[in-house]
Amino acid sequence: MKKWLYLLSAVIIWVIIGFLIFDFLPAQSRPAARTKQEISRIISTAPNITEILFALGLEETIAGVTSDSTYPASAARKPNIGNFWQPDIEAIIAAKPDLVVTLGFPLYPQQQNLADRLRRFSYNSLTVFHTENLSDLFDTIEKIGTVTQRQQQANDLAADIKQKLERIEVLVAEKENVRVLYVVQRNPLRVAGRNTFINEMIELAGGENAIGATIQKYPPISTEQLITCNTDVIIEPTMGQEKSELLEQSGLQYWSRFENVPAVKNKRIYIVADDAISQLGPRVAEGVETIARCLKPKLFEK
Amino acid sequence: MKLIEVKNLSFSYSETEVLRDVSFEVEGGAFLAIVGPNGAGKSTLINLLCGLLKSDSGIIKIDGKPIGSYSTKALSAKIAVVRQEFTPVFGFSVVETVMMSRTTHYGQLGFETETDRQIVNEALQVTDTDRFASRLLSNLSGGERQRVFIARAFAQDTPILLLDEPTSFLDYKHQVGIYDLLKKAQNERQKTILTVTHDINLAAQYADIALLIASDNSYVYGPTMEVFSQKQIEKFFDTKIFTADIGQGKFFLPLGKLAKDAGAVQNEQ
Amino acid sequence: MAQLLTKKKLFFQIILAVVVLILVVLCCSLIGTKQISLRTVFALTEQPNTINPDYEIFFHVRLPRIFLACIVGAALACSGVVFQAILRNPLADPYILGISSGAGLGTIIAIISGLSLGILGNSPIAIFAFIGAMGTIWLVWFIGRLAGKSNVTGLLLAGVVVNAFFSAVIMFLTSIAKSQQIYATIFWLMGNITEERIFVLWMSAGLTTSGIVALFYISPQLNALSFGADDARSMGIDTSRTQLIGFAVAALITSIAVCLSGLIGFVGLIVPHGVRLVFGPDHRRLIPLSAITGAIFLAAADTLARTIVAPAQLPVGIVTAIAGGPFFLLLLIRYTRKIGWINK
Repeated sequence: MKKWLYLLSAVIIWVIIGFLIFDFLPAQSRPAARTKQEISRIISTAPNITEILFALGLEETIAGVTSDSTYPASAARKPNIGNFWQPDIEAIIAAKPDLVVTLGFPLYPQQQNLADRLRRFSYNSLTVFHTENLSDLFDTIEKIGTVTQRQQQANDLAADIKQKLERIEVLVAEKENVRVLYVVQRNPLRVAGRNTFINEMIELAGGENAIGATIQKYPPISTEQLITCNTDVIIEPTMGQEKSELLEQSGLQYWSRFENVPAVKNKRIYIVADDAISQLGPRVAEGVETIARCLKPKLFEK
Repeated sequence: MKLIEVKNLSFSYSETEVLRDVSFEVEGGAFLAIVGPNGAGKSTLINLLCGLLKSDSGIIKIDGKPIGSYSTKALSAKIAVVRQEFTPVFGFSVVETVMMSRTTHYGQLGFETETDRQIVNEALQVTDTDRFASRLLSNLSGGERQRVFIARAFAQDTPILLLDEPTSFLDYKHQVGIYDLLKKAQNERQKTILTVTHDINLAAQYADIALLIASDNSYVYGPTMEVFSQKQIEKFFDTKIFTADIGQGKFFLPLGKLAKDAGAVQNEQ
Repeated sequence: MAQLLTKKKLFFQIILAVVVLILVVLCCSLIGTKQISLRTVFALTEQPNTINPDYEIFFHVRLPRIFLACIVGAALACSGVVFQAILRNPLADPYILGISSGAGLGTIIAIISGLSLGILGNSPIAIFAFIGAMGTIWLVWFIGRLAGKSNVTGLLLAGVVVNAFFSAVIMFLTSIAKSQQIYATIFWLMGNITEERIFVLWMSAGLTTSGIVALFYISPQLNALSFGADDARSMGIDTSRTQLIGFAVAALITSIAVCLSGLIGFVGLIVPHGVRLVFGPDHRRLIPLSAITGAIFLAAADTLARTIVAPAQLPVGIVTAIAGGPFFLLLLIRYTRKIGWINK
């Protein structure tokens, strides 16, 4: 019996000591704006963040990017610090950054986790909101601009994007909206829903999502829904740089089984390069234009 | 005061009544054989006597106190049990197995004392198992293994020893060896032995008292030679038996095919 | 007397194991994606305000991570030993009674509900996983008790039923979850070791170590339990108490391990058997040595996981599975042969 008492008292003492000695609340994050030093080494943990940094003219200061940051081309030559899902904290520390930019929770717990850990080591870590819609994007650009003291470039970039978008908006307003389905996965069939930024881009491009509102962002849909949604256009993204003609052929073949869908009947199936569309970054206007060209090609023929 | 007192013991497994109103007493130092056909309740009786099962009604008293008033540890100081042989999945050696019955006497950190080691040594010697003390239990033959479990029960150093068919799967030599061992324990150490067995002949040679139980829950209890009469054995086992005297005892032979032969020997009562 | 374990022998074996552990920890802390050496770690920096990245990496990244691996490895290994003893089943592991599906359920609920609050700064996922793990195992315990006290089969069956039910719920939730949530859930469940704050390390180390000591205290009883609950009772062991303590402590340390690092498999299965093969089945030795061996094993596996495909990392559960799978197969063959021989 005695040995149990000893054990219990040892545990209690240990726990009390723990509470007394150690900081049991996580370190408060220091607001980025208060840092005094000039930021000369930045690490980006997501491809769209990398693009923004480049667009703000911060190429020189970038000290590390993830392996999936492939745009612009020179980004691929920057030191590698892991990939988006698995950033390598040792590589990040070894790069001696002044600022680490990460995306936020709850969609990306490993990023939040990384940001927390870095903050604990007193690294300057900026978390931007998971860029899930256009206003997030502008927010992010502004935040990064403020922290890196490139407010002018940030404003310019934002203005530039807005201008491009407006131009497209004006152009496509001429005709009525085209119903479109953005297919992210064929089997099972999944599409971009109404509460995604892809939907925003579709609407800016003069289109309307053929699917109604759904709970999920990228819902799986049944063949029945595919037929009843009556979509005029189907857009599928591709990641590689393969010949788009070949892909279009195979796409037409695949969809030909759904012959009653207007998009299939009129052979309006488009395979597009997706990186300007699937991540929300400075090239969003290009993405919108790509979609617009699929929806209303005649408008772009001049 | 009797060492074991059983009064009006009854027990049922769900709907089936296994024991009804059984009463008997056992003095310290006696050798009791419990026999009967399959399903009569012999193993159940052992389990009731060692506290694993609780009776539906009736009293069991060990050394004057009701069995329910003993803690598990206290009861283990009075009663040791040897069940049908069993090998654990994990490979313990013979000496480790025997030492396990001393667990309740271990020191603070869970290690055996000098006394424990002496007792275990003795138990190994008495059962003639010390020559394979370091071998794994699983590497022994059935007979050797059973002797190890008896050694373990001896090492528990209890006045009462309960055995449930300890010689079921053993050959003649080992059967006799085990009964000799038990008899020695009774004579030299005043242990009280209760053993369930199918073997009436060996029981008749070694046990002083016998309890004969039937499937209909009737029973007979008394000195072995009185209980093991031809009439009673034939009635309880529902089989024809041939009995003959041999020395100071009797032996019994179940008549199977022989009973049908015309020249079946008649014997006197 | 041949073969018996003595206090002295055990003491020396533990000391030896601890020495090996320290050496392994030291080696592992010097391996990683960035080359560092003890000299660079302790080199003074030129200017007072610059950070020495090697120092950072050594003390803030690697050591905490290795300590965590040690704690989790020790917890899982000991818990495996105890479940194998209580269930009298050499194929038991810490997750056998529903902990894995309970933790999984907790995790996916936390991720789907998008909570961002935590307790004491710990992520909500960890908290939910802990609650899920602990809650499930007690559910299994209560259901198993309906089958009768000390009834091992009842426990195992209850574990199977609860596992099946919770897995179904997990599948349902997965089907309505968003793809990133699914990824996050799987990622978390695959088992990951990262650095934790020193407060967390301190507390988990304390609780895990005291759990291991408690299990050591009931080791003689666990030895007796190997012969079956009936035999153990007859030898004076309070089997209910032993099973309850063993169960409770093993559940606690496993839940802590799962909450810290997700589901890391095979450690709780392989390490007990490995130690038993070399040192025998006596739990007084098995428990402490399994703990230390588990710590060594997981620290090494984690080091492998974070260097083999650098700069990306493998989830450590993959490394343990690759090491564990073939071992498990060998074990299966060996034990079925052994049991077959006995039954002949």
